[in-house]
Amino acid sequence: MTDLSVSVSTATGPVPQAPLPEAAPKVTARGLNFYYGEHHALKNINLTLGTNRVTAFIGPSGCGKSTLLRIFNRMYDLYPGQRATGQLLLDQTNVLDSKLDLNLLRARVGMVFQKPTPFPMTIYENIAFGIRLYEKISKSEMDGRVEKALRGGALWNEVKDKLNASGLSLSGGQQQRLCIARTVAVRPEVILFDEPCSALDPISTAKIEELIQELAEDYTIAIVTHNMQQAARVSDKTAFMYLGELIEFDDTNKIFTSPSDRRTQDYITGRFG
Amino acid sequence: MNPIYASRRRKNVVIKFLCLAAAAFGVTWLALILFTLFYNGLTGLSLQVFAQDTPPPGSTEGGLRNAIVGSIIMTVIGVGIGAPLGLFAGTYLAEYGKHDKLTSVIRFINDILLSAPSIIIGLFIYGAIVVPMGGFSAFAGCLALAVIVIPVVVRTTEDMLGLVPNPLREAASALGLPRSLVIRRIAYRAARSGLITGVLLATARVAGETAPLLFTALSNQFFSLNLTKTMANLPVTINNFVQSPYAYWKELAWSGALLITLTVLALNIGARILGAERTSK
Amino acid sequence: MAVESDVMEAAGPYDRARALSAFKLGDVTFYWITRACAISVLLILGGIIISLIVGAWPAIREYGAAFLWTQRWAPSADPPVLGALGPIYGTLITSVIAMMIAIPVGLGIAIFLTEICPLWLRRPIGLAVELLAGIPSIIYGMWGFFVLGPFLANTFQPFMISIFDGVPVLGTIFAGPPSYLSLFNASLILAIMVLPFITSISVDVFKTVPPVLKEAAYGVGCTTWEVVRNVVIPYTRVGVIGGIMLALGRALGETMAVTFIIGNSFKIQSSIFAPGTTISAAIASEFAESDGLHQSGLILLGLLLFVLTFFVLAAARLMLMRLEKKAGN
Repeated sequence: MTDLSVSVSTATGPVPQAPLPEAAPKVTARGLNFYYGEHHALKNINLTLGTNRVTAFIGPSGCGKSTLLRIFNRMYDLYPGQRATGQLLLDQTNVLDSKLDLNLLRARVGMVFQKPTPFPMTIYENIAFGIRLYEKISKSEMDGRVEKALRGGALWNEVKDKLNASGLSLSGGQQQRLCIARTVAVRPEVILFDEPCSALDPISTAKIEELIQELAEDYTIAIVTHNMQQAARVSDKTAFMYLGELIEFDDTNKIFTSPSDRRTQDYITGRFG
Repeated sequence: MNPIYASRRRKNVVIKFLCLAAAAFGVTWLALILFTLFYNGLTGLSLQVFAQDTPPPGSTEGGLRNAIVGSIIMTVIGVGIGAPLGLFAGTYLAEYGKHDKLTSVIRFINDILLSAPSIIIGLFIYGAIVVPMGGFSAFAGCLALAVIVIPVVVRTTEDMLGLVPNPLREAASALGLPRSLVIRRIAYRAARSGLITGVLLATARVAGETAPLLFTALSNQFFSLNLTKTMANLPVTINNFVQSPYAYWKELAWSGALLITLTVLALNIGARILGAERTSK
Repeated sequence: MAVESDVMEAAGPYDRARALSAFKLGDVTFYWITRACAISVLLILGGIIISLIVGAWPAIREYGAAFLWTQRWAPSADPPVLGALGPIYGTLITSVIAMMIAIPVGLGIAIFLTEICPLWLRRPIGLAVELLAGIPSIIYGMWGFFVLGPFLANTFQPFMISIFDGVPVLGTIFAGPPSYLSLFNASLILAIMVLPFITSISVDVFKTVPPVLKEAAYGVGCTTWEVVRNVVIPYTRVGVIGGIMLALGRALGETMAVTFIIGNSFKIQSSIFAPGTTISAAIASEFAESDGLHQSGLILLGLLLFVLTFFVLAAARLMLMRLEKKAGN
C-alpha cells in the first residue's frame, strides 16, 4: 500500500452524498460467466458501466476482478481453453459474438496493464504506431496527434525534447503514462485499467490517479485495483467482488460508508483480503 | 581430526584434483589444435591465397580465391533460403501454435534434425536434387546448407520469441492490432537481437560444413559463378588437398582451415556479443 | 488537459473497419506462411526418409537383411558384394571408445567449471569450451591426420602394444603394428570433438539445480564432492544422460573428423590400432565415384545411420524434455 499517505487534491473522500444520477449505459453485463477450462471463475455477473463514469473493481486477489476486465476487450481470446458465456453489450454490440472483429472491439475498448508495456521503439513511434494502424495522415498532422495524445497522458512536458528517445528509457511512472497516451491516441470509447499503479511509486501513482479522473470526461473507465483508497479516490461507482461473484455494486460513496453486504464491510474495514 | 571427516576430506580433495586434471587435459588438447592451426595456417597465408585460384596438381603457384568466393556464395544463398524459412517456422511454433499438438511434434522433429548427421543431408539432397537435375551443382550445395540452417534458426527463433513478455503482446492486441502485426511489429522488434544471433549461429554452423557438399556442390579447380554447375568451395577443397601428395596443397589446406576457423569464431563471438547486449538491456 | 472530444468524431468505427479489412488479407497470409514453413520441417524429415529409401531400394532388394551381417565389401566384383558389418562395427566401436574417454573428462570439466573453478576463470574457460564446440569438424579431422595420427603411431601405440604384449584379450585389442590410420586414432579425435559438446550441455544442465538445494547440503557440512554426488548429479541425472546421448548421436554420424584418419578398411580386425571404417567415412570417401548397386549400397548405409542416430537423438530429446519439465516446476 505505497500510496496510503498521498492525498490527491481532486480525490473525493468517502463523505455521505446523494446518489449519483443514472448515466447512459455503455457496457452492460447480464448473466456473465467465465471458465478457465473446467474452473468456473466468474459466476453470473450483472452490472452496467455508465458512460463517462469511473467504475472501480475491488476485492481480494483471485476474486476475478482482472478476469472480468479482460472479458470487456476479449483479451482472454489470446489463450486457449478460456471462454465466457452470458451476455455482454458494448452499446448495442454483442461483445461475446464469436464473429465479432476483435481488433475493432479492442480499438474501441483500450487497456492499460499492471506493468508498463512500452513498445521497443521511440516515444514518438509508440504513439504514432497505433494511429497509423487505422489512419493515413500527413507527418504534420501526425505530429499534432502525438502531441495531443502525450498531453492527454500528462507526459508532453517531460518528453517533448526527447521524442526520439526509446520508450524504455523513461521511468516506470512515465512509461505507464506513455501507455495511457498510446491508448488514448487510438481514440477508444472505454479504457480499462488493470491495477495500473501497482508497480509505481506514490508520486507517479498520484499523477495517474489525477489523469484517470481527467480522462473520465471523455471516456468510460473501468479500473481494477487492490488498493481501496485508490478506488475511493478515483471512482464514481465501485464493484466489490469475492470468489468470482459480484457481491455489491453501488456508488463509491455508499460502498465505503454504508455497504449493504456484510462481506463488503468486512473487506473494506480490512478484516480480510 | 575426526577420522570419518578426514577421509571425506581426502576424497573431496582427490576428486577435485581429478576434475582439475580433466579440465587441464581437455583444454590442452583444444589449445594444441588451435596452436597447430595458427602455426601452420599463418605461414602459408599471403595475398596470393586471396588473389589466385586453386593450383593444378604439382604446381606451387596458386591460392584459394575461387574456393573462398564459392564458399561465400553458397553460404549466403544457403542462409538466405534457410533463415527466412526457419524464422517463419519458429514464429509459428512460438506465436500461433503454442498450444497445438502439431507444434510439439514439429518441435521434436526439429530438435532431431538439429543434430542429424550432416552427411545424411548430403545424401538427401543428392537423391532429391542432384539425380533429378542430372548433375552436381552449386545450387544443390546451397540447398543442403539451407536444410542445415533451418532447424538452427527454428530453434533460436522459438526460444527468443518465447522470451518476449506476454503483456507486451497483450498491450499490442489491446490497441486493436491484428495478430500478424503484433508479431511482426512488436514481438520481432523486441526479440530482434536474439533473432539475429540465431541467424549468425546458423551461418557459423554451415560456414565450415563439408560432408553435405561432398556430393552436392562437389568442387572444381576453376573460378565459377554458375550455380547450375559444380563450384569450388573451401571445405571440399581442404578435404581434397589434405589427402593429396603435394606439399603446397597441404599448405593451402592449412591456410583454408585457418580462414574457416577464424570466420566461424568471428561469427560465434559476434552472436555472443549481440546476445549479451540483449540480456543487459 | 483533457483530450478534446471534437477529434473523436473524426474517426468513427466505420473508418476503422475499412482500415482493418485492409490488414485482414495480410493477417491470414502471414498465418499460413508461418504454418507452411513450420510444416516444411516435417516435410524435410519425410523427404530425407523417402529419398534414402528410394535410393537404397536396389541394394535392399539385392542383399536383404544379409547386408547387416556380411563383412565383405567388394564393389568392383561382378556382381558387387556388399556387406555393412565392417562400417557398422567401426561406427559403434569408435563411438563407444570416444564416449568412454569423453564422458568422464567432459563431466569432470563441467564439475570443475560449475563447482570448483574460481569465479573469474569460469567465464573465459566456459567461453572457450563453447567456441570450440562450434569449430567445424573438418578442422579436427585435419589435425588428427597431420598431428595426432603420427604422434600416436610413434609414441602412444608402441607403448601400449609393448605393455599388453602377451596378455590374453588385451593383447589382441592392443596388437601392433602401430599405424597412422586406425580405429583408435579416430576414436580419440571423436572424443576431443564431442568433449566441448558434453561439457557445455552438462554445465547448462548443472545450472538448473536450484541454489537452495545446494546451499542446504553445504549447510549440513557436505564437501563439494558430496554436494555434486548427492545433490547435483541425482537432480540432473536425466539431463546429463540426455546430453550424453546427444553427443553420442553426434559421434555416430560424424564424418569429417574421422574420414582422414580411420584408414577406410572394411575388414574387421580385433586390434583397435588397426585401420577400419565407419558408415559416414565410407560414404564420404566412396560416394562421389560410385554408381549403380555400389551407390545404392552406400545410401543403404546412410539409411542405417539415420535410423540409428534418429533413435539415439529421440531418446536424448525425450530425456532432456523430462529435465526441462522438472526445472519448469
